[in-house]
Amino acid sequence: MGESKAEFTRESGGRRSASRTGAFELKSRRFSLLGLVLHSADMAELAADWAERAGAGGFEHEPVVIDLSGVPRAAAVSAAEGQAPLALDGPAPVDLRAIVALLRASQLQPVAVTGATAEELALAHELGLADAADEPAAERAAAAPAEVVREVVVEKIVEKHAAPAPTLVVDKPLRSGQRVYAKGGDLVVLALVNHGAEVIADGSVHVYAPLRGKAIAGARGDTSARIYAHSLEAELLAIAGIYRTTENPLPADVAGKPAQVLLDGEKLLMQPLAF
Amino acid sequence: MTTKIVVVTSGKGGVGKTTTSASFATGLAMRGFKTCVIDFDVGLRNLDLIMGVERRVVYDLINVVNDEIKLTQALIKDKQIDKLYILAASQTRDKDALKQEGVERVLGELKEMEFDFIICDSPAGIETGALMAMHYADEALVVTNPEVSSVRDSDRILGMLSSKTKRAIEGGEPVKEHLLITRYNPNRVEGGQMLSLDDIHEILRTPLIGVIPESDSVLQASNQGLPAIHMQGSDVAEAYKDVVARFLGEDKPMRFTEAVKPGWFKRVFGAK
Repeated sequence: MGESKAEFTRESGGRRSASRTGAFELKSRRFSLLGLVLHSADMAELAADWAERAGAGGFEHEPVVIDLSGVPRAAAVSAAEGQAPLALDGPAPVDLRAIVALLRASQLQPVAVTGATAEELALAHELGLADAADEPAAERAAAAPAEVVREVVVEKIVEKHAAPAPTLVVDKPLRSGQRVYAKGGDLVVLALVNHGAEVIADGSVHVYAPLRGKAIAGARGDTSARIYAHSLEAELLAIAGIYRTTENPLPADVAGKPAQVLLDGEKLLMQPLAF
Repeated sequence: MTTKIVVVTSGKGGVGKTTTSASFATGLAMRGFKTCVIDFDVGLRNLDLIMGVERRVVYDLINVVNDEIKLTQALIKDKQIDKLYILAASQTRDKDALKQEGVERVLGELKEMEFDFIICDSPAGIETGALMAMHYADEALVVTNPEVSSVRDSDRILGMLSSKTKRAIEGGEPVKEHLLITRYNPNRVEGGQMLSLDDIHEILRTPLIGVIPESDSVLQASNQGLPAIHMQGSDVAEAYKDVVARFLGEDKPMRFTEAVKPGWFKRVFGAK
């Protein structure tokens, strides 16, 4: 992506890394992941629909959570007196094994399930999937103590993302026709971004030079992403899908000046930055 | 001295690439450097016209690239300047005939012949011809006219120089870029009809190697089949000589960049 040869640099650890104790820390972390929300337990139907709408792939081993909370269950489950022996009469369990194979074939990395029944959960553990417990799952899988579940989730995900999302740093000018995309993180450009160039990030976009091309922050919907420019002259500004072109000129207090752009509800706010 | 490959490129057509290639190569040869200028504009060859060797073209670049003849058979020696050679483009083929291995071999053979400079006259556009012309370049002259679309296209070409050339792909030292502004008319800049040097620098931020003033002598020169640098006493010839000097590392102040009001002499006898 992008013609420029950019280097990856990584942000160093947590913010309070000064008081480092031991080789690792177990921390509670929040990550935003793709979720595969199933509306049917019918594997044949699912496979056909998947092939049609997502079969082309284009995923890059992104982690995904399989959300079973939307799968229609037979009413019989609710009968509490059934207990263990009657599990056989319960709803047909979702074929997790097949779903995992389907996702892996499309370069997706299933890491957890949510909304699973006890039986499905057992299978999930067997498949190396964690239980991403949220409210419906907690209700359903009452047997599993919440604390244990949370620990598993943390371990599982921290393994996959040892560091925070990498920041992409570009130190060469981006000229007309060039495009750089910082997947999953911030993009920092230390040289000019000319008309016809595109700078895109899932996080924020920082340009410490004139920004004349197109700038797109929060490309995957992060509404807290911002755009910072040392000289704001962009031909297009977009955050999480809300965009404006310079068909109507930038306000005089930010045009050609240091400025930031952020999202306020459905509106792009442009604010001058004073150094 | 090792051979230096210089591409003359612009993106946009008609800005003065061939005029510049001819005068720049001639200027280097006049300074005593063994120089070869190659026309990469396969199918629309012009360089031989401007160099005045049109009638002497028997074999061309494509014949050599395809290994049909020896390089020495295709090299045309300039009649006025010693040490200056021209390799014409083919008029009957198209750019797809430019195979990368063939181009590399031709450049390699020219190096073996101990040329000091190889000047590659790029075609307009950003397709095969232009990519081949720039691929093996060590330095680049990016030719720009003082108007927005030309500057924008030069920006695109500068981006490709920093990403699509051999040096960029192999991660070596980047291609050294020089900006050459042609058809500059200070009076029209003052009138706001043309971009100024500052405007262009603000957009491209590439070091300026020279400014060639707009002049009728360019037209006269190409109609006569003479590189413009030979037009004795003209501003254009002087400006190209300055470009060659700066390229060779000499310090020359910019000339022909200030607006001049016609003096009484010109007003009486008419502008030349």
